[in-house]
Amino acid sequence: MTTGAPSLKKFVLRTILWLPPCFAAWYFSAQYHAAVAGALARRLVDLFKSGIVSTLEQQGIDLVFVTTIEVHPEPGQTALLLPEVNPLLYTYGLAFFLALMLAARAKWWKILVGAAVLLPFQSWGIAFDFLVQVGVKLGPDVSAQAGLLGWRSEVIALGYQIGYLIFPSLIPVVLWASFNRRFIENLLRSQVRDPHTHP
Amino acid sequence: MLRFSILFVVILVTLFAAELTQPVQSAVVLPWTEALARICAGLITLFDSHVASFGKILQSTANGFAVSIEAGCNGIEAAIVLIAAMLAFPAPWKHRVTGIFIGLSAVQVLNIVRVISLFYLGQWNMQAFEWAHLYLWQALIMLDVLIVWLVWIRMLPPSSSSVSPPAPPLDGGAQQATAP
Repeated sequence: MTTGAPSLKKFVLRTILWLPPCFAAWYFSAQYHAAVAGALARRLVDLFKSGIVSTLEQQGIDLVFVTTIEVHPEPGQTALLLPEVNPLLYTYGLAFFLALMLAARAKWWKILVGAAVLLPFQSWGIAFDFLVQVGVKLGPDVSAQAGLLGWRSEVIALGYQIGYLIFPSLIPVVLWASFNRRFIENLLRSQVRDPHTHP
Repeated sequence: MLRFSILFVVILVTLFAAELTQPVQSAVVLPWTEALARICAGLITLFDSHVASFGKILQSTANGFAVSIEAGCNGIEAAIVLIAAMLAFPAPWKHRVTGIFIGLSAVQVLNIVRVISLFYLGQWNMQAFEWAHLYLWQALIMLDVLIVWLVWIRMLPPSSSSVSPPAPPLDGGAQQATAP
């Protein structure tokens, strides 16, 4: 009995074929996992700067952070700031991860563990999306009221870029590689294997 | 694995932080993004003369629709991930340099396909554009990075591979066991 080389072509083809159903499943279940990621994101915001979020609401898929920050839309009027975050921007990696794992025919518990491990990274993106709105985009008055000046605004800018540009697409691949080290090792080994041992 | 992981994260964060600095933005990111817009416009004019590029903007002269190539769409983050993965993996420098050069070309070729496809998708349907732009193409570009990296490690000379004993079968179909 010999062990054949892993087929990269088949793996890639299976991943591409799995992507549409995985994206569909992710989108139609978005309301539920966005709620979990949002709740975790709120805790992250509290860790970063406590007291600026009073509650988290959900409108469909979108997350609404109810803050304690007061704004004045018109003279004499006072309102609370309610920044919204689209969680799909940070959770689409779940669909990508599912496609990679299903293409590798991974065990179901690994898929579940991976999906759970993705959550903090998704929450990071959501939390920093909120923080960049309050601490950077909405101007100095809002950021001063939120207490997000100085070093905090620098950290927010970097945290937002990482959470938006790097984590959503990279972490699924890193997790897949962690769960499929043997696939990678076999791929490495396949170029040094004696060809006469193949059937 | 631990050495690779640590090196990968260190190189990734260093390059990413450097990318965000103003000097690198001015000297590398913006010029490259503008060049990307010009390359895409040049390729599109091969089959559609109604296109122009202004800086990092690609615009249809027929209907005014325009796309601006922003961070995350210029392929630089994908390139950084690939460079970090190739530098962190134990391999001869010659293979690293070759791999990075060819790998970056492969990533940028697919990125050009992404930009051109989004340019036309946006003129057809904005909802499809948003989906492809924000979710689907992001995953496909990272899948491209993964494929390039896997092909590269497969082409490394045997001496750079630290694994030698035969590995047990995989969980599933990524590896096929054949019985005589």
